Amino acid sequence: MADWIIFALSALLTLGGLAVLVTSVLGLFRFRYALNRVHAAALCDTLGILLMLLGVMLATGLNVTTGKMALVIIFLWLTSPVSSHLIGKMEVTMNPSLGSEMNVQDPAAVAEERQPAAPEEDKEA
Amino acid sequence: MRRTERNERFHRWLSEGDTRLDTMLAEEYDDLTTLKHVYESDAAAAEETSRAEAEEKAREAASAPLYTAAQAHAEYDVPQRSRALYLLTALLLCAGMIAVLVFISSQLPSFGKSENPANNEVVERYVEKGMEETGPVNIVAGMILDYRAFDTLGESNVLFTAVCAVLLLLKLASSGNAPRPAAAPAETEEDLILQRITRALLPFILIFGCYVILNGHLSPGGGFSGGAVMGAGLILYYNAFGAAAAERFFTIRTFRVVSVSALSFYAVSKAYSFFTGANHLPSFITAGVPGRIFSAGLIPYLNIAVGLVVMCTMYGLFTLFRKGDI
Repeated sequence: MADWIIFALSALLTLGGLAVLVTSVLGLFRFRYALNRVHAAALCDTLGILLMLLGVMLATGLNVTTGKMALVIIFLWLTSPVSSHLIGKMEVTMNPSLGSEMNVQDPAAVAEERQPAAPEEDKEA
Repeated sequence: MRRTERNERFHRWLSEGDTRLDTMLAEEYDDLTTLKHVYESDAAAAEETSRAEAEEKAREAASAPLYTAAQAHAEYDVPQRSRALYLLTALLLCAGMIAVLVFISSQLPSFGKSENPANNEVVERYVEKGMEETGPVNIVAGMILDYRAFDTLGESNVLFTAVCAVLLLLKLASSGNAPRPAAAPAETEEDLILQRITRALLPFILIFGCYVILNGHLSPGGGFSGGAVMGAGLILYYNAFGAAAAERFFTIRTFRVVSVSALSFYAVSKAYSFFTGANHLPSFITAGVPGRIFSAGLIPYLNIAVGLVVMCTMYGLFTLFRKGDI
C-alpha cells in the first residue's frame, strides 16, 4: 500500500514538473520579445526541475543518489535564476530601442530604484 | 644666341621628321582608317540599338509609377530559370543524400549482436585484461591513457595548437599596420548577484573539477571532463569579477608555463614507458592494486596533465575572443 502511495506521489510530481516545463517551452516559442521569453523560461525552469527531481527522489527512496539529486536542485536553483537575470540585464543594456517594447522610466529613476533593491534580490538568491 | 639657333634647327628637323613620318605612315594609316570605319559603323549600329532599348526602358520606367525595390531585385537577381534549376538541384541532392543515409543505416549490423564486426579481439582484450594490465578500475581511462596514449597526446596537442593559432592570428592582426581588432567589448558593470553566487559556488566547481580529474582512473571522468569543469569555473570567475581580477592568477605566462610543462611531462613519461615496454625492459611504473588512489601506473598523472591542458585551452580561448589577449 505504502509503495503505491509513494509511486502515485512521485508520478504526480513528475507529471506536474513535465507540465510546467511544457508551459515553459510554449512560452519560449509563443512570446515575441526577449524579456517575455526570459520570464517564461526562468520561472518555469526552477519549478519544473524541482517537481521532476522531487518525483524522482521519491521514486528512488532514501540513498546516496537522493542526496546527489538534492544537491542538483540546489545548484540549479542557484545558477538558473542568475543566468536568466544576466540575460535580461544584457537585453536591457544592449537594446537601444527598449522604449518601443515597454514603458521605460527615465534612467535616473530606474537607478535610484535599483540601489535599495539589489540586496533584497541577493537574499532571495 | 647660338643656343636659340640650335633650338630652331632642332625644331625644324623635328617638324620635317614629322612630315616624313607622316608620309611613311600614310599607307598603313589608310588601311587602319578603313578598318576603323568598319568598326565605327558596327559600333554605331550597336549603339543605336542599345539607345533604342534604353529609351524603351526609360519610357517603361516613366509609365511605371515608382521604381520599386522589387524591380531592382528582379533586375539584379539571377534569372528565373537558373533559380528553378538551383532549387531542383538542391532538392535532388537532398533526396539523394537521404536515400544514401537511409540505405546505409538499413545495412548496418543490428545493435548489440555478438557477431558484429566491432566485437573483435581488441575489444575483448580491453574488457577482459584492461584492469589487470593497466590498473584502473575505469577501463576507459586505461584505454585512452595507456593502450592509446599516443592518440591522447595528439588530442592534447591539437587543443594547444588551436590556442596557439588563435593567439598568432590575433597578435599578427594587432602588431602589423592593420588596425587593431575592435577593442575589448565594453565591460559591463559588475553584477552583484553574479558575484555573490560565484563566490559561493566557485570553490565547489573547482573542487569538483579536481575530483573528476584525480578520480579519473577509479570512476567515470578523467582529464578531459574535469579540465572542462575547471575551465568553465575560471570563465565564470572572469565574467563575475572582470579581467583585472582574473589576471592576478592567470596571464599568458601562466598559460605558457602550465600548458607546455604538462605536454612535455606527458610526452617524456610516455616516451619512457613506450621505450621500456617495447624493449621488454623492467620499468618502475607498475599497475599497482586496482581501486587505490595511487595505482594504475602513469594514468593519474597523465590525467592531471591532460586536465591542465584542457583547462588552459578553454580559459585561453575564452579570454582570447573576449578581450583579444590572454
